[in-house]
Amino acid sequence: MADYILQVKNLYKSFGAVEASSELCLSVERGHIHALIGPNGAGKTTVLNLLSGELKPDSGTILLNGERIDGLPAHKRAKAGLGRSFQITSIFENLSVSENMALAILAGEGHNYRFWRNSMRTGAVERGLADALARVDLTASSSQLAANLSHGEKRQLEVGMALVGKPQLLMLDEPMAGQGAGGTVELKKLIRSLKGYTTILLVEHDMDVVFSLADQISVIVYGHCIASGSPEQIRRDPEVQHAYLGEQ
Amino acid sequence: MTSEARKTIIIAVGGVSFCLLPWGAVLFGEHYLISLFTRILIYALAAVSLDLLIGYGGLISLGHAAFVGVGGYITAIFFHHSFEGELIAGIVPGSENALLVWPLAVLGAAGFALVIGSLSLRTSGMHFIMITLAFAQMLYYFAVGLEKYGGDDGLSLYSRNQLGGMDLGSDMQFYFVCLFFLVLFLFLSDRLVKSRFGLVLRGASSSGRRINALGIPGRNYKLVCFVIGGAGAGLAGALLVNQTEYVSPGLLHWTMSGELMVMVLLGGLGSLFGPVLGAAVYLLLEETLAMYTEHWMVYLGPILIIAVLFAKRGLFGLLTRRE
Repeated sequence: MADYILQVKNLYKSFGAVEASSELCLSVERGHIHALIGPNGAGKTTVLNLLSGELKPDSGTILLNGERIDGLPAHKRAKAGLGRSFQITSIFENLSVSENMALAILAGEGHNYRFWRNSMRTGAVERGLADALARVDLTASSSQLAANLSHGEKRQLEVGMALVGKPQLLMLDEPMAGQGAGGTVELKKLIRSLKGYTTILLVEHDMDVVFSLADQISVIVYGHCIASGSPEQIRRDPEVQHAYLGEQ
Repeated sequence: MTSEARKTIIIAVGGVSFCLLPWGAVLFGEHYLISLFTRILIYALAAVSLDLLIGYGGLISLGHAAFVGVGGYITAIFFHHSFEGELIAGIVPGSENALLVWPLAVLGAAGFALVIGSLSLRTSGMHFIMITLAFAQMLYYFAVGLEKYGGDDGLSLYSRNQLGGMDLGSDMQFYFVCLFFLVLFLFLSDRLVKSRFGLVLRGASSSGRRINALGIPGRNYKLVCFVIGGAGAGLAGALLVNQTEYVSPGLLHWTMSGELMVMVLLGGLGSLFGPVLGAAVYLLLEETLAMYTEHWMVYLGPILIIAVLFAKRGLFGLLTRRE
């Protein structure tokens, strides 16, 4: 029996008459890079939003480590071990790079209703900041305002922040979107280096990236999961070829 | 010179000037300057507390006057009942003791901020601006309806609160009490925005989505910020009522909220010390222009527009800008 970190059963969500997710089932094995692919508008980001708690499913269950999390609000799910990056990079633009990272570190340090001591001199920040910055190669730009980073660096920072909390499952929403060729290579290297550190659920349009990184691929079309399997199986699946790959 | 060093110098010069000002005023026989600058100190306190909300919490509140008013009315009502020798609502005796009444004013304003904040924070953006405005106007009309305390006309106090062995009736002593509270509030606010709480707060105002994704309920931090800002405004209200020995619904009017917001923008959003400068410049301009014309607002308006247009980070940002 495989060790599943995430199990989604019969997830259903509609926006009016549009079924963004219908009877969706998904199982992610621990330690894998699991890719979620599908044509535009297939509902991939909706799935991530349902998982992270930004959207409430109409019905269905989500199990993280065998525990139901579908009733929890977003911030509690994050505490339970779900980390994510957004399709549109969302870092704290008006804070410096190290402040961004410090905030990510402090998020895992219990409550933050501490009004007196300087945040950057908190023990946890002093211990973890240098490593956290080095992991995503941002040591040199630590004092810059996050808004002034290049697009690729912003993505690195975002992934780095999501990693600080040692998430059990890290959801990456189109990390390659808007990256130049150099950025893609860097990020591919970064994501591959995270294998073994955490489980990754990857939504990505770049098929080269998906097929070179993923252990498992699930194909979503109109909110249904039409196929799930290894990259080889997916490549050969006639239904997938018809619905998705063939159209490209 | 770095912008940090400039900032330190400006703050030091400002601090020394505020300390020496009353003696200068006495020396030159311009006693009214003391009360003018007392007013500046009090408005600065209220503006700094608003800067915590707008500049650091991203909470654009157009109802900050409500908390100034609550602090003011609590002070005035306790004074009035003590003066008349009757119980408040037939239960609590009044008091003229600042050590009792001012903390009550602060707590009262914080309590109102807690209620108004927890309701208003369900919204954001334009809706937040409108709902805070609506709450403040509601309290304004409530104050107008307080017939027992003068209604529309307000209430005169005849003297100031008592504070230990000090004589608050002396303009000089009262000036330094106000200066003390402004410096204290600035110091605490400065620690606050650099603390863990402050970092989370600034993060939450930058991206509420991201802060939730980190597992932090950002809205709760904003609410605490709203309450702290309200408490500061409540203290300003208590001091203002003491200075003028008078309270009226005007303290809660939206124009008061607007003036405070202009002071914050003029001085520099999110700089804490900027709003002090903003309050000083605004009130001095008002005072000076009013000497020449009763239509001083016609001239003040364009000056403010120019200042805000050409100094996006306010006067303080202009002064501390790196060369």
